[in-house]
Amino acid sequence: MDDDEAVERSLAGDLSAYEALVARYSALAHRTAAMLGAGDEAEDVVQEAFVKAYRHLASFRRDAPFRPWLLRIVANETHNLTRSRGRRSELALRLGATAPVAAPDDPEGAALATDRRSRLLDAVRRLPERERQAVVCRYFLQLSEAETAQVLDWPVGTVKSRTHRGLARLREEVGNEFA
Amino acid sequence: MSSREPFDEPDGPDESGVPGELSGPGGLDALEAELLALGDDLDVPAPPPADVAAAVRARLAAAPPAPAPHAPEPHAPVRRRARWKARWKVVAAVVIAVVAITAATPQGRAAVVRVLRFAGVEFQIGDTPPPPVRTTAPIPGEHPADTAPFPVRTPKALGPPERTTVADHGRVVSMFWPGGVRLDQFDGTLDPVFFKKLGPPWPDYVKVAGRTAWWIPGAHPLGYLTREDGTELPLRQAGPTLVWQQGTTGYRLEGLKTSDEAVRVAESLE
Repeated sequence: MDDDEAVERSLAGDLSAYEALVARYSALAHRTAAMLGAGDEAEDVVQEAFVKAYRHLASFRRDAPFRPWLLRIVANETHNLTRSRGRRSELALRLGATAPVAAPDDPEGAALATDRRSRLLDAVRRLPERERQAVVCRYFLQLSEAETAQVLDWPVGTVKSRTHRGLARLREEVGNEFA
Repeated sequence: MSSREPFDEPDGPDESGVPGELSGPGGLDALEAELLALGDDLDVPAPPPADVAAAVRARLAAAPPAPAPHAPEPHAPVRRRARWKARWKVVAAVVIAVVAITAATPQGRAAVVRVLRFAGVEFQIGDTPPPPVRTTAPIPGEHPADTAPFPVRTPKALGPPERTTVADHGRVVSMFWPGGVRLDQFDGTLDPVFFKKLGPPWPDYVKVAGRTAWWIPGAHPLGYLTREDGTELPLRQAGPTLVWQQGTTGYRLEGLKTSDEAVRVAESLE
């Protein structure tokens, strides 16, 4: 069952079809919510987003892809949450336990690489909010520019410029140290 | 060693990179590639997708309006009327929801004649047996865990549990033993966490170590009340259950056949 068929059956009231859609996008939705600042409330945000998506399914344009449409709702819910908390959304993420694979037999190099990764992550955390959102969507969530524009509800040109500014700032902070 | 350094870019960062354009592996500059790799390394904890799907389905099933076609509401010319209309819409929605729930089964007409809240559990007691729940859903976000988010206790009489789960961001800790025996522990002082729909016979008043407890002898519909707005999520048809509170923690012990047995297990908490 592809997305389109699942959407069609969900619209006809088939909750099992919608359950399949939820299961399919659950991990990505959690990742999106967490990375856009929902923190430990990502689970609540995601459930709420899926419930809302179902209720608004009739307004989904069937010739468009489902993924960015859903992620836009996730991003909106995340935004509502961070706004209701009245503070800047935090990028509360941990680096995985996996060591970088670049230098398995080179502990010193591996340590340097790990250090570099955590400093890069810190630098992303410190980016101005909008630049951070652009960088997160483009690189951490690996969305295209068009998808990012839809998810964040910005014009594509704005996605380009904010990503560009974010990257430039990151380069200033960490870019030249290993050159 | 340095020859293996992953960030050993001879020319430094690429200044000429097309802004923000992921143009395929060849078109990425070093920083973009690093960001992609970093993203792959980031841990984002998420519950099992099947659990999320079941929880969403339970919520949708609990409030049945299907995806409505987006018919825009005509603007009412007078403001007061619009507000009145909005209120009517709320009333209508509630009526529809109630009709949808009660119309689902013929026995669904049981009226709740009494609500009792105790130890984080809401007993909705009616004058006729409530229709059974035919589905099974986990508590939202239920996942296996080794550590509990608040001090929990184990009934010595049952020995160590087969498995332990934590649900809803640490709101509920559940322990399981063979034979369908289950102990849920939760904060019993704030809003109710679970609800139980009961008909006759009404719960029996018993005592656990001198404290009030309620014994529900038969199978009954069990549901979960969400933290945000108390939305009712049907969970499953639960077996006989003992409910009591000790300190600030509410306990529900399910699956033992008699109240004496359940009380004995409850009194062995340590």
